Amino acid sequence: MIELERALLAIGRDIAVPEAPDLTAAVRLRIDRTRVSHPRRRWLIAVAVVVIATLAATLAIPEARSALFRVLRIGGERIELVDQLPVVAPAPPELDLEFVLGGRVTLEEARRTSGFDLRELDETPDRVYRGARGTVWFLYGTPERVRLLVAQTPLHAVAEDFILKKLAGAGTQVEHVNVGGSPGLFLGGEPHVVLLLDSEGQVVEESARLAKNVLVWESGGVAYRLEGDFDRATALRLARALR
Amino acid sequence: MRTYQAIAFRTAYLLTGSATDAEDAAQDGFVKAWAALPRFRPGAPFRPWLLRIVANEAHNRRRSARRRVELELRTTVAYPPGDAAPSPEGAALGRERREELLAAVTRLDDRDRDVLTCRYFLELSEDETAQVLGVRRGTVKSRTARALARLRETVEQ
Repeated sequence: MIELERALLAIGRDIAVPEAPDLTAAVRLRIDRTRVSHPRRRWLIAVAVVVIATLAATLAIPEARSALFRVLRIGGERIELVDQLPVVAPAPPELDLEFVLGGRVTLEEARRTSGFDLRELDETPDRVYRGARGTVWFLYGTPERVRLLVAQTPLHAVAEDFILKKLAGAGTQVEHVNVGGSPGLFLGGEPHVVLLLDSEGQVVEESARLAKNVLVWESGGVAYRLEGDFDRATALRLARALR
Repeated sequence: MRTYQAIAFRTAYLLTGSATDAEDAAQDGFVKAWAALPRFRPGAPFRPWLLRIVANEAHNRRRSARRRVELELRTTVAYPPGDAAPSPEGAALGRERREELLAAVTRLDDRDRDVLTCRYFLELSEDETAQVLGVRRGTVKSRTARALARLRETVEQ
């Protein structure tokens, strides 16, 4: 151990931390209130992914500080429209998609283990991943140059509120669309930053990655999500071709 | 809960630099952890799992406050010997040097400061730090090395 590390350890033991208050009573009270207002909530599984729109085409962790003025919910997603977008930091040099999306599986394995009828495009995906909350991801292209991402998440596996959360700023257009009779939302315009949430709804910091335009809809108990460099018409055409 | 509230509060305090924010973050962290208990993997270490939730609450408060984290060193005057005197290592280091180093840590950017806080002020292992900060173990190693290098540059200037 180097001298600097030893010095930091010594300092850590000498930092004046106020005495910890007894939180038991306050926490118990809040839990009791939660039990009354949300009796089943603790059994519901939280969250999968956060998408944050940003003015810069870079990856980063958001410092959400802007005022929230509108919230939309669809297909297990929560989309927050904000007046000011997060400040972003430079993108990491490479992205580990397996960490972000989940373990890599074969298409056959995904079909067999997903627990729901996977929809597929005519074109076979280049990579398939199975991630949190039973989400199956189809990747078209390469991890370095993603052409299209298709996500399918069974809605029984997600929280009552959302599986996706997006912050959309002025540079992102949010449009209501009809996807084969199901209501959907198309987010276009400025690129997005995607953050993965773990099962507690906590941001997995390393999961930050670039997203493009996104089409989200819900059908038959499954949330569908297309992400790619496409316009609205192309996204809808792809959605119809996903069967 | 009593077992963990001291470390939860300490974690939140070191990340926010505010006793009020730390109390709120720890309290919210416990409530959220309770709600998430059904998803806690049996046999997994509980402490980093809980601290991860508390740390996220602390980060949220720090971001919204946009406040620089300010921490203080104990002094032998304010904390008489036998109560909370500086550690032997700390005393050997010299008060001025300790304060200089601590001030330099608080001036680091959030990522650097967080990893040093976890590794040295909270004395978490690399694995625990990785879990608390939501990054990989390799990232903890590289961030720690980078943060130490930046800290060294700062104090040697």
